Amino acid sequence: MLVMGEVHTGLLQNSGEISESTCRQVLGLMAGETVRVSRRPIVHALSPERLTGVDCALPTASRSRVRGVGTVVSRCAVTGGRVAQGSSYVRVVRSDADRRLPWSHYLARPGVVEVLGKAKAADLAEGFTGDSAPGRPDGACLDLGAVSGRFLDLVQQSTLLDRRAPFKIPRTSLRWVAETGEPSIRFTLHAEQERTLRLTHPGPFTTAVVDLCEDLATHDWLLTSLLVIVERARIGGTPGAQAVARLAPAIDHLMHLWMPAARVEEWLTPFWESLERRPGFTRQWRSLVDRVRDQVAMNTLALLNATADAGRR
Amino acid sequence: MLVFAISDKGGTGRSVTGTNIVYRHALQGNDVCYLDFDFGSPTAGAIFSVSAVARGTRENGLHHYLRGECPQPRRVDVWAESDREGLRTRPPGAGRLVLLPGSEGGGELSALTDEVVGRCVQLLGRLDEEFDLCMIDVSAGRSFTAELVLAATVRMPAIPFRWLVFHRWTRQHIIAADGLVTGADGLLDVGTRFGHDTDDLRDRIRFVRTAVLEPDAAELVGLRDEQRAWLSACDSELRELAGRHGVGRTAMLGKIPLDPVLQWREQLITDEDVLASKIANAETATAFEDLAKKIVDDSAWEGL
Ligand SMILES: Nc1ncnc2c1ncn2[C@@H]1O[C@H](COP(=O)(O)OP(=O)(O)OP(=O)(O)O)[C@@H](O)[C@H]1O
Ligand SMILES: [Mg+2]
Repeated sequence: MLVMGEVHTGLLQNSGEISESTCRQVLGLMAGETVRVSRRPIVHALSPERLTGVDCALPTASRSRVRGVGTVVSRCAVTGGRVAQGSSYVRVVRSDADRRLPWSHYLARPGVVEVLGKAKAADLAEGFTGDSAPGRPDGACLDLGAVSGRFLDLVQQSTLLDRRAPFKIPRTSLRWVAETGEPSIRFTLHAEQERTLRLTHPGPFTTAVVDLCEDLATHDWLLTSLLVIVERARIGGTPGAQAVARLAPAIDHLMHLWMPAARVEEWLTPFWESLERRPGFTRQWRSLVDRVRDQVAMNTLALLNATADAGRR
Repeated sequence: MLVFAISDKGGTGRSVTGTNIVYRHALQGNDVCYLDFDFGSPTAGAIFSVSAVARGTRENGLHHYLRGECPQPRRVDVWAESDREGLRTRPPGAGRLVLLPGSEGGGELSALTDEVVGRCVQLLGRLDEEFDLCMIDVSAGRSFTAELVLAATVRMPAIPFRWLVFHRWTRQHIIAADGLVTGADGLLDVGTRFGHDTDDLRDRIRFVRTAVLEPDAAELVGLRDEQRAWLSACDSELRELAGRHGVGRTAMLGKIPLDPVLQWREQLITDEDVLASKIANAETATAFEDLAKKIVDDSAWEGL
C-alpha cells in the first residue's frame, strides 16, 4: 500500500566530531552485527537495524479506526562524526487474515505492518503527513516519531560522548510517506522543527528510499541549524567581532558537511534535483555560507586595518 | 545546564525568582526553558502571564508526560503566547523563552517508579540538547519530585546541573534551608543514597535569599532610630546564624531585595516596569540580572 517513516536529526552531543572507530562503537547497538560505514565523500555510519513490535491504531485523515499489527524497523546513523539520526519506517500492507495472527507470522516479515480490515492508502498517507494530521499522535496510535526519538536518545546517551556539544540546537523531525506511481515529491515545512515529505517513486520500494529520506533530513537539519546560528549572530546588530565569534561554531562544525545526494542511488537522484530547483536547498545553503564567509573576511580586514593604523601611529 | 529550584517552605519566592532569572537569562541572549515540576500548584503560567496555562495545562502537562500519558509534554513559547504586551515580542538579541507547564489539578507525584525516572531522564536529556539553561521548579520541601530529579541526574553524569535553595531572611527560614540540604532525608542525604557523591553534590548547591529588606533600604527611611537600630541588630544576628548553618555569604549565590510590585503580584519584572512605569525598583531587576549571570559563572560555583 505505502511506506511511512520518520527521521529525527540532531547535533551529536560531543565537543568535537567523533572518529570512524568511535562511530562504530556508538552505533554498535546490537552485539554480533556490524555497523556499516561509507567513507566517501563523507564518513557515514549506519547502525544495525532493530525491530519494535506494534499492535495499534494507524493515523488516518478520516479518523476512522484502522488497526495495524507488525514490526517497525529502526536504525541510527552518524554523518561526518557530527550529525546523529534515529530513523524508523514501516511498510503497510493489507492482511490476508481478518484477525491477528501469531507473532511468528509478523516476525518473519520485518518492517511490515499488516492492516486488519479496510483502509485506504490515501487516508493513511494524509493522516500521517497531511495538514489534518492530529499534530503528534497520542499514545494509542502508531508513533514512529517516539520510536525514532528513542533511538536518537540511545546515540546521544552513549558514554563514549562527552555531552559538551559546541552549541545548543533543536532536533528536527521529518515524517515521510512513499508510494509507487508517477514520480513526484513534495517537501513541506511545518511549525517549529516539523517537516513532511510525500514521495511517489517508480518501481517497488527498496531501502534506497529510506536512505534518500535520511539524506534529505540531514541536509534540512544542516540548513535549519545554520539559519539559527546566523540569526543568533545578529549580523549588523552587534559589533563585527562579536558576530563572527557567534558564527564560529558553524564554521568549525557544520559548513563542511554539505554533501547533498551523496548516499542516494542513481534512480532516486532526480528527486533531489527537483528539490534543488524548488525550494532550492543548496542555493539557500550557499547564500548562507557566503554570508558567513563575508562576515569573517570583513572582520579580518577591519582587524588588519586597525593593526596597520596602530603601526603607523 | 540544568538548574533545580527548591525551598524548604512554601511561599518563599521560588517561582517568582526562578522565572525572573530565566527571563533575564533569555534577555542576555540564551535559549532557556522553565519546567513547572511543582505538581501540587503549577502556577508558572500565571507569572509568565500566559493565561491559557495560568494554573497548568489540561492536556500534555509535565505530569501527564511523566505518567506516560503523552509522548511529549506541551511547550509554550512565552514570546508568542504571553498576554502581556511587553513580553509578546522577542527583543532583539534575546534567546528563546519556553515554558513547560504542569498539569492542571495534577496533584503531587505519588510514587517514584523506574519508568517515571526514565521519562524524566529522557526529557531533561533532550532539553539539554537545545537549551542553554533549563530551570526546574521542584516545589517546596522533601518530595517525590525532589527524589525524582536526584535519581534522574545520577543517570546523566555528563549533563551539568546545579541546585538553588531559596529562603527568606528570617530565623526559621535560615534553619529550615540548612535542614533541607544537610538534615535527615535532605538533599545530600537522599542524593547520596541514590548514588551522588556527597561532596560533589554539596558543591552544586547554593542559596538564594528572597524578599530581603536591607537595613539601609529606602523603604526604611521613615522609621524611628530605635526601630532602625533594632533591625540592624536583627540583621547581624541573622548573618551570624546563617554563617553557622552553612547558609552564609560563601554558600549564597545572591539575594533579591523586597520589591513592592512582587509583594502585590507574582510577575516578571521587565525593564519597562522599572524605567517607564517606574513601579518596580531598579535594584530588583539588577539582582535578577546578576543571578542570571552567576548561575552559569563557574567562578561563583567553585568548591566551598
Ligand atoms: N523579592 C520579593 N519581594 C516581595 N515579594 C516577593 C518577592 N519574591 C516573591 N515575593 C512574593 O512572595 C509570594 C510567594 O512567592 P512565590 O509564589 O514565588 O513562592 P513559592 O516559593 O514559589 O511558593 P509555593 O511554594 O507556594 O509555590 C508571592 O506573593 C510573591 O509575589
Ligand atoms: Mg511556586
